[in-house]
Amino acid sequence: MAKSDDGIRILQGLLVFGNVVIGMCGIALTAECIFFVSDPHGLYPLLEATENDDIYAAAWIGIFVGFALFALSILGIIGVIKSNRTLLLVYIILMLITYAFEMASCITAATHRDFLTPNLFLKQMLERYQNSETENNNDNLMAERVMETWNKLMLQNQCCGVQGPSDWQEYTSAFRSTHSDADFPWPRNCCVLDARGSPVNLDGCKLGVQGYYNSNGCYDAISGPMNTYAWGVAWFGFAILCWTFCVLLGTMFYWSRIEY
Amino acid sequence: RPHSCPRHPGARTMLPLLLLLLLATAHGLNTIQYTPTLASSSLGGLITASTFTLEQPRCVFPEDPSNAVIWLVVAVPEAVPTFNDSVEPGSPERAFQRFPSSAPAYMTLNTTLLNYPCPKRPGDITVLRVGSETRCTKDDSRPTCNGPLPGPGPYRVKFISLNGSVPVAQTFWSEPITLRTAKPLGDIPATGSGHSASMIALTSILSILFAILLAGLVAMLAFWGSDTYGGSSTFSKPEAVTVRRYNTHHVYDQPAARL
Repeated sequence: MAKSDDGIRILQGLLVFGNVVIGMCGIALTAECIFFVSDPHGLYPLLEATENDDIYAAAWIGIFVGFALFALSILGIIGVIKSNRTLLLVYIILMLITYAFEMASCITAATHRDFLTPNLFLKQMLERYQNSETENNNDNLMAERVMETWNKLMLQNQCCGVQGPSDWQEYTSAFRSTHSDADFPWPRNCCVLDARGSPVNLDGCKLGVQGYYNSNGCYDAISGPMNTYAWGVAWFGFAILCWTFCVLLGTMFYWSRIEY
Repeated sequence: RPHSCPRHPGARTMLPLLLLLLLATAHGLNTIQYTPTLASSSLGGLITASTFTLEQPRCVFPEDPSNAVIWLVVAVPEAVPTFNDSVEPGSPERAFQRFPSSAPAYMTLNTTLLNYPCPKRPGDITVLRVGSETRCTKDDSRPTCNGPLPGPGPYRVKFISLNGSVPVAQTFWSEPITLRTAKPLGDIPATGSGHSASMIALTSILSILFAILLAGLVAMLAFWGSDTYGGSSTFSKPEAVTVRRYNTHHVYDQPAARL
């Protein structure tokens, strides 16, 4: 009897510890997802324009799941210490619901990360950058935001286009229909700009002389943060879920051992 | 008779030929052994859809005459065999605005030898951008405009040096230069690259774990009905046990009765 008592005590201790970890991870998940949703790199308009912004939806779900995990972990600790069957049953069912939501968030983040290819951004950039003829007001606002985002990206990361300035030469674009190829082989923001925002050497930029124009593509500057967001939500969530799985199994076992 | 030198029978045809040759050299069109080439390929904008960039003809033309003006001739390849060097630049036959429909070639980028100093300073970027002037594209009063080329080409170019209006020297014709053609936007494939291995692993593992948990929940609820499961391994909640002190008062009375 004493041995079984000890075993139960150990199980109780482990479950309390497991729930403490879940609570802390829940808070960490909430904090991480709030950070992603706040969009420090300013890339949300690009995703919104491609109609592929589900990574942000996954992050929003992550915020609420994190809170829920924290609250439920407290409930779990109380239930385990008091060995109350009802409390623990409520805990298990609510945890399973939270588990399902978090699963959805992880899978969404991972799946939509796969959609973010260079071609997706290339097509969107060529269609919307400097597009003055738009179909409706909504599109116009979106096109403006896309342009602002691209300009900011090109300025901050010293890059041009998605794979390079040759993107503007290889494909037709909205930009090309309003700006002549001889004057603007690529947008002015691809030139190295001085403090006042005008090109250091306009002819050098038009010729494509190294040092007067940005010859790198911007894809790395976009995909880097996107990967961080997506994998942050997906894999951290996956780790939490694996741990929660063990704790829940332990709790179910504990519950079945309580005599009513 | 003044003299009776015997004449060669073919001398009659030789003389006009000799005269022609004399005329040609008197025309002075010296062909320099130089082929105009595109500039270095490290330039990002070497060839665009309507412009291209050539190397400047440094150390190519002779110093004499020093006031000669060097022109660039841009022509469609069909016009090269029948190209007439003595047509003046700026005439309608050589106007940029009529190229290539009614003028098979045009002349532009005129400059004196002073702008092509020899020897070339190392580190200088010595290029000529053909097609950079966009303001005079439709201006008929500027037939020597260096305007953007109207199509992807191909085009052939050469340099020609004029003293006044008389051509003095020329280079070879370049190889045909073809400009870029932009592909239509719709050609970019918009479909994603499919699902990565990590996403598939994540989805499948999570689904399996969730299934196990649901099965556990079902098992739990099935056992809820049977409260008396596993007698020896269940444990009871620690109950509050009260101990009553049982006081047997008649034990103290006994010794008093004996006495």
